[in-house]
Amino acid sequence: MKKLKLTDIAANENTPLTELNIDELIPLPPPYDRAGDLPGFRQLTEDQRQRLVCNLDGVVSYAGLPKPENEAEKKKYIEQFLGGLKKLLDKENNWTFLQPLILSLDYCAQCQTCNDACPVYLASGRNDLYRPTYRSEIFRRLIDKYGKTGGKLRARLTGKDIRLNWATITRLYELSYRCNLCRRCAQACPMGVDNALITRELRKLFSQELGWAPKELHEKGTVLQLEVGSPTGLNPRVAIDNLEFLDEEFSEATGIDVKTVWDKQGADVLLIHSAGDIISFPESPISFTILCNAAGINWTLSSEIGGYDGVNYGLFYDDVQLARVAIRHAEIARKLGVKKIVMGECGHQHKAFITVADRVLTGDLNIPRESVMTFLENLVFSGKIEFDPSKNDFPVTLHDPCNVVRNLGIVEPQRRILRYLCPQFREMTPSGVDNYCCGGGGGLSVMSDVNFTDWKVNVSGRMKFKQVLEAFADVPGPEVNKYVCAPCLNCKLQFRDIFEHYGAKERSGIICGGLAELIVNAMVDIKTPFIKWFDD
Amino acid sequence: MFWHGFIIGSIVVFILILAYRIIRIASLPVHLRWELAPIPHERDRSKYGGSYLEVYEWWQKPRKKSLTAVIKYMAVEILLLRAIWKYNRALWPLSLTFHAGIYLVILAILLSIIHALVSIGGATSELLLDIAWIIAITGYVLGGLGVVGLILKRISNEGLRPFSSFTTYFNLFFLGAVFLTGYMSWMKAENLAADMSLIIKQTLTLDNAINISYPLSLHIGLSLVFLIYLPMTNMIHFIAKYFTYHEIRWDDEPQDAKMTVKILGLMKQPVGWASSHIKTEEKKNWADTSSGHEKT
Ligand code: SF4
Ligand code: SF4
Repeated sequence: MKKLKLTDIAANENTPLTELNIDELIPLPPPYDRAGDLPGFRQLTEDQRQRLVCNLDGVVSYAGLPKPENEAEKKKYIEQFLGGLKKLLDKENNWTFLQPLILSLDYCAQCQTCNDACPVYLASGRNDLYRPTYRSEIFRRLIDKYGKTGGKLRARLTGKDIRLNWATITRLYELSYRCNLCRRCAQACPMGVDNALITRELRKLFSQELGWAPKELHEKGTVLQLEVGSPTGLNPRVAIDNLEFLDEEFSEATGIDVKTVWDKQGADVLLIHSAGDIISFPESPISFTILCNAAGINWTLSSEIGGYDGVNYGLFYDDVQLARVAIRHAEIARKLGVKKIVMGECGHQHKAFITVADRVLTGDLNIPRESVMTFLENLVFSGKIEFDPSKNDFPVTLHDPCNVVRNLGIVEPQRRILRYLCPQFREMTPSGVDNYCCGGGGGLSVMSDVNFTDWKVNVSGRMKFKQVLEAFADVPGPEVNKYVCAPCLNCKLQFRDIFEHYGAKERSGIICGGLAELIVNAMVDIKTPFIKWFDD
Repeated sequence: MFWHGFIIGSIVVFILILAYRIIRIASLPVHLRWELAPIPHERDRSKYGGSYLEVYEWWQKPRKKSLTAVIKYMAVEILLLRAIWKYNRALWPLSLTFHAGIYLVILAILLSIIHALVSIGGATSELLLDIAWIIAITGYVLGGLGVVGLILKRISNEGLRPFSSFTTYFNLFFLGAVFLTGYMSWMKAENLAADMSLIIKQTLTLDNAINISYPLSLHIGLSLVFLIYLPMTNMIHFIAKYFTYHEIRWDDEPQDAKMTVKILGLMKQPVGWASSHIKTEEKKNWADTSSGHEKT
């Protein structure tokens, strides 16, 4: 593997800095241990290489990155980058994260302790490009050089000079989307430096100043959510129709009356699912309907624009969009007059809404917000629903969504449920706040432009897939059905991509689903198995 | 009077620059919450990284915080370098040696100051001086070994080398010179701590008899220049760490009335970002930009 220098970032603008080679990635346990047996890595075609900006690692996450015709155009973007860089250091434009950014920039001791905490770096076979410190240090040096008085001279004198050119900014853009923002590196840093935060600030610079952001996060993400209602494209009418259809379908399948409640004024609980679940994992929202109704909870969903989709992709790349979505959610809850808002099974919704946006929800927008984990735990142990854990007698392991566990410290409620309801529950190693990201964190799970999915399933999701296989090492074959409980839509989407890529269902009998489905599956009143192991 | 001026002046400059940098960090605006588990003040949950958000309807329940746990956590982090032990075991022995050297030298200086103060009152303690003397020499040796080890490690390790700049080596060499001259002074002096204590006493009492001979003069001179240099560098991470831990990682306070006032002030500031989904004809403030729906 080619060793990289920090200054390489500015060299040869049309040549990738590194090429990924499956043989160099960390090996997976059998039967996925022979690289030759695994699906390959989609290489870019000659046409794509000509058309797209592709100068990082042979992977393109955003086909919309402009390709300037001439030097003047490149210069314009570089000027914009510099403008954004200065705004990041400004008390007005970046009050939201200025203190954490400055501390993370100024106090790194360059000890590299964070590197081995990073699942991407480890999975890549320790490729220099994916060190948490590689992009951070380049960005730090650029900020020192262009954002501080006397920076250029100091950069020369101290040998920290990084050239700022078209190659530098485009590679930094792409590289900012080779990180899950999982903050495992931050947890390991003795100084409290946060490379995930630096990465997010870099994304912010591109989004807020140059308008560069993955289309799945911005144009078809937050913008669509605020205009139409959801990044899935579901408008309120279609969302209601879909759920009504699902209510009917599941009423028939389960034999109990499944009825989703909409727009109930003064309900105790406003539940905000991720609308992606309605489309990709419909048994998840239906499980909540079944559980809330069975426990007699006074609850409702909202059909207002944005109110039936709890995702907030602003958390991944843009403070303004983050605030707009969070405020929209809070306004909807205020209008309904609910007592509390309960997050759906969505990790980044938890982090965005419960903590990060907490400080922009002032006055009567500061409505109590609760995690789905404590909500479900209370419901399961309330004694209002009867359970038969033997219905869940198959191997189950738990994935800890970083945004719920490492970021919010919500570790045990979901485990107490699983220990009670799943006799064969087993932990992954490491787990809890030390978990590995699924590889779809930081918005990556919904990004699938060009050949980006290949990178997600081969590199960023590799440590997780390895962990899952190890957790089921005692029952490796496909004859035993196994369940990865991932109480987060984005994690489930990433697992779905990983399992499909490796054929994990066929070769190892592994499927992935949420927590609520396991709870419903164990309900005495549900006569036929709720969890479906095969598509029928 | 040269030494008096040099010693007192250096300490004053150190304090002023350090205070300036602390105030600069502390006066940065309140940021959005960005906590990270584990948070040690969570009394019953910090062992596994849990937080108060694990409690059903947490906003109705009293918080259970433990200051002792925080102090214990920080003590282990500062004295034994917990994070490096946990995540970078190969670096830990060298880093610990290096930091132990620094801590011991600081401790020896503190003991010498105590002795100087006591001796101004007319008393003297051979025992205290002997203890300070042993601590000082241990500190110089450990610190020196740590510096040499870290320099070699940075040169030889493929992961560390590209990230080690001129400044990194300069700082290490500078500290190495302080330890080395300290060691040389110890070799020459009968009891280095006694000499130090005397110099401190003479400085405090503005005694003109102050006379520092080589190599102690070189050691003290270098140490004082280092003291002035220190707060201008990122070696004051011992201060930064307070903020990164207490004000960011462990700041999990929910919104309250005091915070609301601060935030409302910040939200009145103009937003100057240029992207089309933010920029509008007339400049808006944060409150306006983030409430209503902006067309993109
Ligand atoms: S971010 Fe932290 S752990 Fe990583 S190199 Fe910097 S100081 Fe070391
Ligand atoms: S946030 Fe996660 S993926 Fe990103 S650099 Fe840190 S450890 Fe790696």
